[in-house]
Amino acid sequence: MTAQPAPLTTHAEPVMGTVFSFTAVHGDLPADAVRAALAAACRVLHHCDALFSTWDPASPVSRFRRGEAALGQMPPEFAEVLRECRAAKEASGGWFDPWAMPGGFDPTGLVKGWAIERALEELRRAGLSGALINGGGDVAVFGSPAGGHRWRVGIRHPWRADALACVIEVGQGPVTEERGLEPAGGSGESPPRAGIAAVATSGPYERGAHLIDPATGRAASRAASATVTGPGLALADALATGVAVGGDEALPAVAGLDGYAAYLIRPDGSETDTGGIAFAP
Amino acid sequence: MRRAGWYLVTGAVAGFAGVLGFHIGGTAAPAVLGQPAPGELGTPSAGPGAAAVRARTVAGAVEQYGYGQLSVTVTVRGDRIVAVSVPVLHTMDPYSQQLARQVIPTLRSEVLAAHSAQIHGVSGATYTSEAYAQSIQSALDKLHVR
Repeated sequence: MTAQPAPLTTHAEPVMGTVFSFTAVHGDLPADAVRAALAAACRVLHHCDALFSTWDPASPVSRFRRGEAALGQMPPEFAEVLRECRAAKEASGGWFDPWAMPGGFDPTGLVKGWAIERALEELRRAGLSGALINGGGDVAVFGSPAGGHRWRVGIRHPWRADALACVIEVGQGPVTEERGLEPAGGSGESPPRAGIAAVATSGPYERGAHLIDPATGRAASRAASATVTGPGLALADALATGVAVGGDEALPAVAGLDGYAAYLIRPDGSETDTGGIAFAP
Repeated sequence: MRRAGWYLVTGAVAGFAGVLGFHIGGTAAPAVLGQPAPGELGTPSAGPGAAAVRARTVAGAVEQYGYGQLSVTVTVRGDRIVAVSVPVLHTMDPYSQQLARQVIPTLRSEVLAAHSAQIHGVSGATYTSEAYAQSIQSALDKLHVR
């Protein structure tokens, strides 16, 4: 729209019952290519929503939950999400369990992060020099923000919508170092999430009904706010849900995962973390 | 108490609000500040031409939340948040107020009022589309759109 090519384009897209915020850093990409990439990323999100919305009784996942569709009849993405759910359940030490949700298998705690990863991949492939997608509070980035350096993600204060509990720095530099994800080429197998960093937060303060204790099947939370960082948002999203449910007891599982870290605000306001998170001073 | 020292520059902000399509003010109190009070400002952006960049402020409508009413105001200079404040915060009962006072200061670096926080996004528990309109992320998005 503007005459001068902007170095930055932001966009807000209502989908999945929330709003997804995009920050796209153009780099050398012309503005129309940036807009096309954002449109493609939004299409990915709406597609994922159509497949996995538990709110839509006609969605494939809803039909699966009611026993009206067998696994073999599900779209190919379903098997992938199922795989990720199994892996996340194990990685969380059982605190994230889509099979223990009321009403049957419910991958909601992972799907949003998974969808954001796929949308971010559209932006990365398009050649942007960096981008951030915030899906209703779950954040994934690649590259660098407009001014270089690292992305700075505020963690919402659990008791005050206007305030932050802290700021976490994520992005290329340290993630590349820690994970050894040098630009693809070495193994020939280019990891799909290379250079992506994720921040997911879960807590009972917005809509806590999805926080179900797998042991009891009842709503439960041992955290005011649970944040997980790492190289993948599908897993970080699921782990944040697990830590929000399990509190301190769920932390060792996250600490044992390569590249993942957790920051917990307990219901009494005290804090702890697993180490491995770059808190901004 | 928190309102002390705030400038009310309703006219200028209301004009800006028209562009943003954002609700300004509220039913309970004048919910607008134009410039952060002296001492509330973060370090001004060091970028070229930063001095020419005017601070922009948007305020969310007064909303009911779990424990009372609140409205959020964000002031941005260039790409930098220089102030985030709560012009309207009415908790339903003294206990909530007491709780807020006692609990919040125990957090890391107290409450980060986003002074000079210069953030690119906010991570938090999933908000609804309705709650998004009152979020800091929403204010960031609106301030970036030109």
